[in-house]
Amino acid sequence: MTFSSFAAPFAPEIVLLAGTLLIFALDVLKVRRIEITGGIAVAATLAGIALVVADLGFAPLAFLATIPAAQIDALPAAGAAPLYAVTSLGLVFQAIFLLAAFFVALGSTSRPSDERGASIFFGLLLLATLGMLLVAIASDLIFLLLAIEVTSIASYLMVAYTRTDARGVEAAMKFFIIGALSTVLSFFGASLLFGAYGTTNLYLIRAAGTAVGYPTLVLLGYGFLFAGLAFKVTLVPFHAWAVDVYDGAPHDVSAFLAGGTKKMGIFAFFLVFLGPVLAVDAVGQSGYGLFGGSLALGPSFQLALGVIAVLTMSVGNALALLQKEMKRMLAYSSISQAGYMMIGITIGSAPALGGATLQVLAHALMKTGAFLVVSAVAALGVGPLIEDYRGLGTRRPLLGAAFALMLLSLAGVPLTIGFVSKFVLFSAAVRAQGWFLWLAVAGLLNSAISVFYYARVLKAMYFDPSPVPDPALAGAVVGGAGPPALPVGGLGYGRAAAIALIAGLIVLFGIDPQLVLGPIQAAAYHFVAAGA
Amino acid sequence: MTELALTGFLGLSAALVGIGIFGILTRRNFILLLISVEIAMNAAILNFVYFAAFPSGTHGLSGQAITVVLIGFAATEVAVGLAIVLALNRLKGTINVARATELKL
Repeated sequence: MTFSSFAAPFAPEIVLLAGTLLIFALDVLKVRRIEITGGIAVAATLAGIALVVADLGFAPLAFLATIPAAQIDALPAAGAAPLYAVTSLGLVFQAIFLLAAFFVALGSTSRPSDERGASIFFGLLLLATLGMLLVAIASDLIFLLLAIEVTSIASYLMVAYTRTDARGVEAAMKFFIIGALSTVLSFFGASLLFGAYGTTNLYLIRAAGTAVGYPTLVLLGYGFLFAGLAFKVTLVPFHAWAVDVYDGAPHDVSAFLAGGTKKMGIFAFFLVFLGPVLAVDAVGQSGYGLFGGSLALGPSFQLALGVIAVLTMSVGNALALLQKEMKRMLAYSSISQAGYMMIGITIGSAPALGGATLQVLAHALMKTGAFLVVSAVAALGVGPLIEDYRGLGTRRPLLGAAFALMLLSLAGVPLTIGFVSKFVLFSAAVRAQGWFLWLAVAGLLNSAISVFYYARVLKAMYFDPSPVPDPALAGAVVGGAGPPALPVGGLGYGRAAAIALIAGLIVLFGIDPQLVLGPIQAAAYHFVAAGA
Repeated sequence: MTELALTGFLGLSAALVGIGIFGILTRRNFILLLISVEIAMNAAILNFVYFAAFPSGTHGLSGQAITVVLIGFAATEVAVGLAIVLALNRLKGTINVARATELKL
């Protein structure tokens, strides 16, 4: 194998790594203007999107494809234990991660151009995205967990990147403690699975199914892994940290955490738990005392995952109803959306995984967009409470309309991607028969509840009178000594472009879902076929 | 290694991970919290060592390799934790986790 054929599948990762190193090198040389560092981040993520989409078979960009089509979704040779394998579902997830990172980078270029620590923020953004891309091609448990840690460690630091904002540093501390706990649980679970299976390769683990002599080790291993990964995806009861961290982090970082890094955990769930979910039963051989015995894994795993999914969406929604602050409300809504995504892995069929992937794409767009709007609105001088948004829709019609569109999409209103993704996901649950039907019922009820709190924001924006004096009208020019007003009504080009692009994609995919649904369903089919 | 010996070793790492998680959940001093993280992480690392030495499987050398990687990783994580605690100490003059309460839980 030549070096170029080894490196070819890693083209997007290499671009991101080069961007990270370039930004950090420029930082040492004291070139720290946001136009330069932000420009590098935007260019690197955009190049990454082009490379990944080309590998997915998007014809106009075919000349950029670096991975031979035969290598995608190829099963490893019998007995081989590759560390990474390119799957088309992994490529879809890479595209989603890069899209979220691109929008966050684009939106962040509108921050003050001499902001302290900005180059650190952009460098860490690319580094965290690099870790997420590695998660999407992992086929080994340790490779997967280390890739997750690349992202986690970069994101702890991103939350505290200003170093002077007490709320940000406090959020980083909480994030670090919970992250460290989750890491320890994941690695402990992985070590037990290594003991039971004699390998950490996910293909070999899936092939072995549950035909190992140590069901207790398998069960404990998956239990610890579940707890560790559940922290990353903010599943109830492992969700409490997310609200504080999203609330305390700088707005653009919250956008990346909610829209980007959380989705990495969903794909990790797909990789790790598809095997046990599809395994119908297991009979352990005795002879190892404490670790012998027998166990039927598949149905019990599905039941446990299903219960957690319903709990997550219900608790997230119930608490979102009670919030007065915009970011905390969005954080709880993010938790409940993670519950919807878990329906996919609970069922484990190709349509369900496809629906969950579509939901991940939808949520990445909607939540990144919503947090970028919060960031833009905060830059205009509007407060953090929902009631501070009074009259925004009439005073700032375009920004208000974009935010309203994102909230309607989160609520699942037709003609938006949020409706399509929920429709595909819930119909997969209905088609799966059995008690999975109740997952669809729970999802539909929760969607109905969620309309209440999104509508509350819409009511504040469009039907409540504006506060006087109105900060949203004052723009960034508060007093004579402040920074000059940014273009596009105080938003700045980058933020306005990012919000407009996201709103456009939400409507485009809502009107013509086949643009994304076809490739995603095909990718999910290949993924499940390789796992069975 | 006999079955009995393996059970004993697994009992040791279970105790370590229990002590570590208990420490993470109850300690209020950030440095002690980092030490608890290390204790729990070492339980996972020890598990990889035992299973690599366990004769009946195909575990082979990958267990030792993973051990070395994980030791390096654990050091990285602590370095980041110390960076955060330094920033916290500079801003608030304390490394007590319970006193950082600006964000309501």
